[in-house]
Amino acid sequence: MRDVAIVGVGSTQFGRAQWSLLKMMCEASHEAIQDASLGDRKIDAVFVANMGSARNNRMAGLASALVDRMNLYPAAAETIENGPASGASAFKMGFLGVASGFYDVVLVCGGERMREVNNLEATEFVSFLSHRYAEYVYGVTLPGLAALFARMYMERYGVTNEHLAMVAIKNHANGLLNRKAHIRDSITMEGILTGPDAINNNPWVSEPLRFYDCCPVSDGSSALILAPANLAKELCRKPVRVAGIGQGTDTHAVHERPDPTELTAVRIASQKAFHMAGLTPQDIGVAELHDAFTILEIAESEEAGFFPKGEGHKALERGETQINGRLPINPSGGLKARGHPVGNTGVSQLVELSLQLRGDAGKYQVPSRPKHGFTVNFGGFGNNVIATVLSEGV
Amino acid sequence: MARNIEAAKCVQCGKLHYPTHFYCPSCKGTKFQGVAIEGEGTLVTWTRSHVLPLDYSTMYITLGIVQMDMGVKVMGQLDVGTPQTGMRLRSRIGKVREIQGSDIKGLVFTAI
Repeated sequence: MRDVAIVGVGSTQFGRAQWSLLKMMCEASHEAIQDASLGDRKIDAVFVANMGSARNNRMAGLASALVDRMNLYPAAAETIENGPASGASAFKMGFLGVASGFYDVVLVCGGERMREVNNLEATEFVSFLSHRYAEYVYGVTLPGLAALFARMYMERYGVTNEHLAMVAIKNHANGLLNRKAHIRDSITMEGILTGPDAINNNPWVSEPLRFYDCCPVSDGSSALILAPANLAKELCRKPVRVAGIGQGTDTHAVHERPDPTELTAVRIASQKAFHMAGLTPQDIGVAELHDAFTILEIAESEEAGFFPKGEGHKALERGETQINGRLPINPSGGLKARGHPVGNTGVSQLVELSLQLRGDAGKYQVPSRPKHGFTVNFGGFGNNVIATVLSEGV
Repeated sequence: MARNIEAAKCVQCGKLHYPTHFYCPSCKGTKFQGVAIEGEGTLVTWTRSHVLPLDYSTMYITLGIVQMDMGVKVMGQLDVGTPQTGMRLRSRIGKVREIQGSDIKGLVFTAI
């Protein structure tokens, strides 16, 4: 396999879209193409990540539509739906295309316009991910599954609602520095948990999870350009190497796992990604984890190997995951504040990580200028997970 | 009498699993015998969910994962005022949802 690099990145504003889904995807792709200085060089293939366009936007075949709208003919085009892990799946397919030599220049674009429907409809559509006969029929939503997981985790490891709030406060503070973040709103422990108005400001969603434990419903698109390492040096001043990719799957129904507090697919995906990269969790200087719910940032940080099981919340307490800590997690604001356009999220995480490794993250640049970064893109409720390691330079 | 919710017992190795799989998770067998999920169990975790799918008109539903004494873990709705992890529960079959005008039956748990 050839070494592969990210040679250009782009992203729209996250939040409520001002444009159609396709226009958002064009804007993000255009930014990535400009960033890569492709000039007259053709894009060989386009991989698009999306989860809900057929239902929420009455659009299907998005990759073909993007090729048409951007005049990228006769590029090959594939649309990839893999739930909330669609973004990293599309990235992985693009990587394989370039690494194998089948393609030279690939555009990976994630896009989701969820706010075309109301919040309840969006929550309902995401709940289709749950097991149809053993979970969905009972009325469970993704916040419901996260809540069942959170209670087990909290009771076993001593994680409290204060710890969950600390994740939200940290990621909101980071999001304030990211001009493209959906939520740019400073929150405090008093305001969301301990003060007299906390229950109004931060009502229950699915106990023990409250409003600020859950990511927003976002629109947004992100894109990146992949090329072989030898070409990357011509195209890009600051290429970022795709060092490792790992994927793992687990039971569809959360209750069928021997120990439902274990996120086995996160562990397997992470181990594979680190093995491919020839690196360990100790080498990583920045991580973008899939904090669709605050508990997931803590649990994933342990399963990925950054902290021992049951001790992620202690590292959080010590400030180790702050933007200036030993391992900054979600300096972009994460899903919690940057936003979670569900099928796009995996691409946006990789865009954010690339900016960090290039030193181009602006106000939310991790000050230590990390050389290696790590992402977890978490599909279903942990039944399909992709981890990626990126490294500075080629 | 409402239809049972069934786990699958592998005819080849005897492994009981729920929900069902095409291949036995233990021996890859493909023949199974249905075993009714019924009786008593212990509450593993629970949530009171206030953000509900569109077809519910209640303010909240209470959901739990229960380790059944008959050997499988299941999700079900809890008809319990104050759930506590570790409490003992008894199952019955009841209405858990209405989808496009049809009642959906499933596992409902009450305290023993």
